[in-house]
Amino acid sequence: MDRADILPLPSTAWKADYLEDTSVRRLVLEQYDRESLPLRRYLQFLGIDPETAQEVVHEAFLKLHQHLLADGDRTNLRAWLYRVAHNLGRNTQTAFRSSRTDALPDLTVNGDLPSQAASIEQELLDAERNRLVRAAIHRLSAAQRDCLVLRAQGFKYREIAEVLNLSISTVGENIQRGLEKLKELL
Amino acid sequence: MKDLDDLSLTHPPDALLIQAADDELSTAGAAAIDSHLAACQACKRRYQALRQVSAGIESALAASPIDFSFEQRARLERQLEARARIAPIAAPSHLLRRLSSAVAIAAALAFALLYVPHWSRSLKTAGPVPARLPSAFEVDGESFVALPYSNPDLPLNASHIVQMQVPVSSLADAGIVFEPISNEMSSPDRSVLADVLLGMDGRPLGIHVLNAE
Repeated sequence: MDRADILPLPSTAWKADYLEDTSVRRLVLEQYDRESLPLRRYLQFLGIDPETAQEVVHEAFLKLHQHLLADGDRTNLRAWLYRVAHNLGRNTQTAFRSSRTDALPDLTVNGDLPSQAASIEQELLDAERNRLVRAAIHRLSAAQRDCLVLRAQGFKYREIAEVLNLSISTVGENIQRGLEKLKELL
Repeated sequence: MKDLDDLSLTHPPDALLIQAADDELSTAGAAAIDSHLAACQACKRRYQALRQVSAGIESALAASPIDFSFEQRARLERQLEARARIAPIAAPSHLLRRLSSAVAIAAALAFALLYVPHWSRSLKTAGPVPARLPSAFEVDGESFVALPYSNPDLPLNASHIVQMQVPVSSLADAGIVFEPISNEMSSPDRSVLADVLLGMDGRPLGIHVLNAE
């Protein structure tokens, strides 16, 4: 074997690599536990079918792993994940950008079984209200919808701008116009 | 923000009310909006209506029926382990990364079939012998010395064996110390030929020293 094939690194480098691999995997899984459901919810809310949303989110976390192994920026991994998932989703399904309300998942009563008739009634009212909001949101422009849904996920304007590759002022305008239109529709 | 300067005289536009609700204004801007809302019922109603629409979106979003999939998580975990950097003990990491599982297993099998008897002889008759052995185990009839960080609970049958040059300094750090048989042997650059057992996660689990360089 050629001398050049012998790794000159001391064994501490091997340990460092191993510890780095482990910590990256742990970080990805922590992010998965925290963000995979909101991400799937976000994608489905924008019209992606549940199976595709699941696969898109899975792929986004594999990309996050690559990103971290390549010493990528870690300052806002949540925004990074949404940006990657958003782009993957857009590439995966053209319905992402359409206004197909029939693609929306059926609303079902969520949570524990209600113990009283009043709570059942309230839940049905809530479900109907949610259905109307969904239908109204899908009558907005894609940019307005994206901005409003990310805002509802708790992102700041600068983060939404980062996810959607827009300027902060454009994000503000989309949110304002989207909310005003929704106010008229609901 | 010029709109904020004369809030006491004019009603703030929706844009400013929304930014105030989203905590996107400066402290001074937020204070100006607050004081205006405290004094102007019309703007307060507008503000609350916008807040209500926002709450409706959050509620509709949160009501999406989605379950956490433990199966998907386990699948991701397996894939992450398979994609992890292979921790190099001796061979260049870029070389190891290129070794697909199939190639590594095939190479290890072919190597074992051809050379196992020769290794046994060479170990008995020549080359340095580890003076101090940490715990050992067998895979496919070959003895491996367990390396630090190896997990004894991992299944060994799906592991890969890769032959490579390993620096003696690395082995010393792993608890395998060679008795110097010459001055050359104590050189820090010294390396030995060894089979390295890689676990399913790509980490070195054990080492079988074949011969000195």
